[in-house]
Amino acid sequence: MLKRIQKNLRLFFLYSRFTLKTTLQARAGIVLFLAGKLFRFLFLLMFIFLLFGKTKVIQGYSLNQALIFYLTFNVIDSLTQILFREVYRFRPLVMSGSFDMVLLKPMHPFTKILFGGIDYIDILFVIPYFCLVIVFFLKTIPFPYSFFTIFSSVSIYLLFILNSLVLACAFHITVLALGIITTEVDHTIMIYRDLIGLGRFPMEIYKEPIRSFFTFAIPVGVMMSFPTKALFGLLTGPFIWYAWGISLSGLVFSLILWNYALHKYQSWGG
Amino acid sequence: MIKVTDLTKIYKTHIKQKNPFKDVFLRKYKDIVALDKISFEIGENESVGFIGPNGAGKTTTLKIISGILYPTSGFVSVEGFTPFEKKPQFLKQIAFVMGQRNQLIWDLPATDTFELQKEIYEISQQDYKKNVGELTEILNCADLITKPVKTLSLGERMKMELIAGLLHRPKIVFFDEPTIGLDIFSQETIRTFIKQFQEEFKATVILTSHYLEDVKRLSKRLIIINKGHIIYDGTLKKIIEQYSVEKRVTITLEKPANETELRAIDIPISYTFPKVVYKIKRSVLPEKIKAITQNLPFSDLSVEDETIEDIIKTFFKKNK
Repeated sequence: MLKRIQKNLRLFFLYSRFTLKTTLQARAGIVLFLAGKLFRFLFLLMFIFLLFGKTKVIQGYSLNQALIFYLTFNVIDSLTQILFREVYRFRPLVMSGSFDMVLLKPMHPFTKILFGGIDYIDILFVIPYFCLVIVFFLKTIPFPYSFFTIFSSVSIYLLFILNSLVLACAFHITVLALGIITTEVDHTIMIYRDLIGLGRFPMEIYKEPIRSFFTFAIPVGVMMSFPTKALFGLLTGPFIWYAWGISLSGLVFSLILWNYALHKYQSWGG
Repeated sequence: MIKVTDLTKIYKTHIKQKNPFKDVFLRKYKDIVALDKISFEIGENESVGFIGPNGAGKTTTLKIISGILYPTSGFVSVEGFTPFEKKPQFLKQIAFVMGQRNQLIWDLPATDTFELQKEIYEISQQDYKKNVGELTEILNCADLITKPVKTLSLGERMKMELIAGLLHRPKIVFFDEPTIGLDIFSQETIRTFIKQFQEEFKATVILTSHYLEDVKRLSKRLIIINKGHIIYDGTLKKIIEQYSVEKRVTITLEKPANETELRAIDIPISYTFPKVVYKIKRSVLPEKIKAITQNLPFSDLSVEDETIEDIIKTFFKKNK
């Protein structure tokens, strides 16, 4: 088992290296991609500042807290882009029948089709986003800082970020499975991105029953808002269990769907 | 080594209806039987060619034996493994080279793909170097492996595909139309390579191709599939003996001949002075040759077997 994990890790790093080599060949593309991401980030940041220019508090959250929600959204979104970028390239693989070549390899197919295309450009963004979260968090807590408060808050925050990544992983595996069953990937991904986009701001800005719907039915709230709320100490123990219950159930469901999809795979283009 | 019993594969496809609303909300399906209870066995170091028209079930058979597809019913065992379980020990023993698919990283040199294969198949550094060296030498392409794949021609890419696919020295190799789209020189190189690989490494080779020359050159045994059924399983020699009923006689005339003179021998299949071509039944060949030598002034005469394509056409006509 350990040997298999080691092998898949080696392959993961090798795929990542080749993705980087491929990415570096299109320098103009990198510049445009970076500029686009930066522009979108700054545009929405400006929007938050404009909103808080009119009021001090929105739904009980201060400017700094709203910024942490927004930055956390960006941290999670970028991490999922970094890890699961290859999913965006899955449809042509299925349509051309080249997915056959992945299935024939003595490795787990996820090594290639889920984690096989690390997006290095997004790594450039995650680190500053995370640093900014810490900076704004320090502004929300009283000075002098208690090491224990910071440590426990940040630890639970990271635990929830991890939970969000498990949820994102489950969603991307579901997309892969649907890609095999229906050959549709792009639109499912777009729906996912639109839905998680709702998590840029605290869930409290949405009215009931929409808020509950996006927290319990479609776990956008669990994925994007729970980590920040945990950082502010607004979540109690049962929510931690609830969040992990949702993400692990989602993961199990996605794996069942994946196995079902493999049975249905028809290997097009033969 | 490979045992297939009562293998059936049924694909479900949706029936297009005239009403687009029904097509979306009340979709109807039908079953397409791609393989219908086929059985065969393939032994170690055999070379078997699968042929048949498009949609006959050749590639489906290979994809089930290699574990890509799940069968609907039936039994398949390869080296004691059930292919669709996709156990790494099984996958390490096989290779599937497809003329219409590629596994090379498009923007990078083929050596990067080879390195990936090395890790995937857990090949030692020593074996990796040795295998790359040997395969590039046989294919005469050592200078190509460091060039970006996107800059290579189709034939050159196929050579790289072969190296990437066979780097782990598989015991069983599936070739699915390995020469498709290649020029005649590249086709020849690939055929020679496959032959050499099979002989040198004692591999079992299972091949499908629409180019019957591939099958003729590479397979001693032939399995003909049509509409999901095996309609012939035997040697290539036997099918030639049984179905090659005519010989092709080509004559180079010394002076033009009129239609009556030519038809006195037989009805020619083509005539463009100085060449005239006849297809003559084996049973009457000696007397027809005699008639030619007596009645037509010629400078050259050649008698050839029918092409493998013609033989297979005759086979299909007789086994409809």
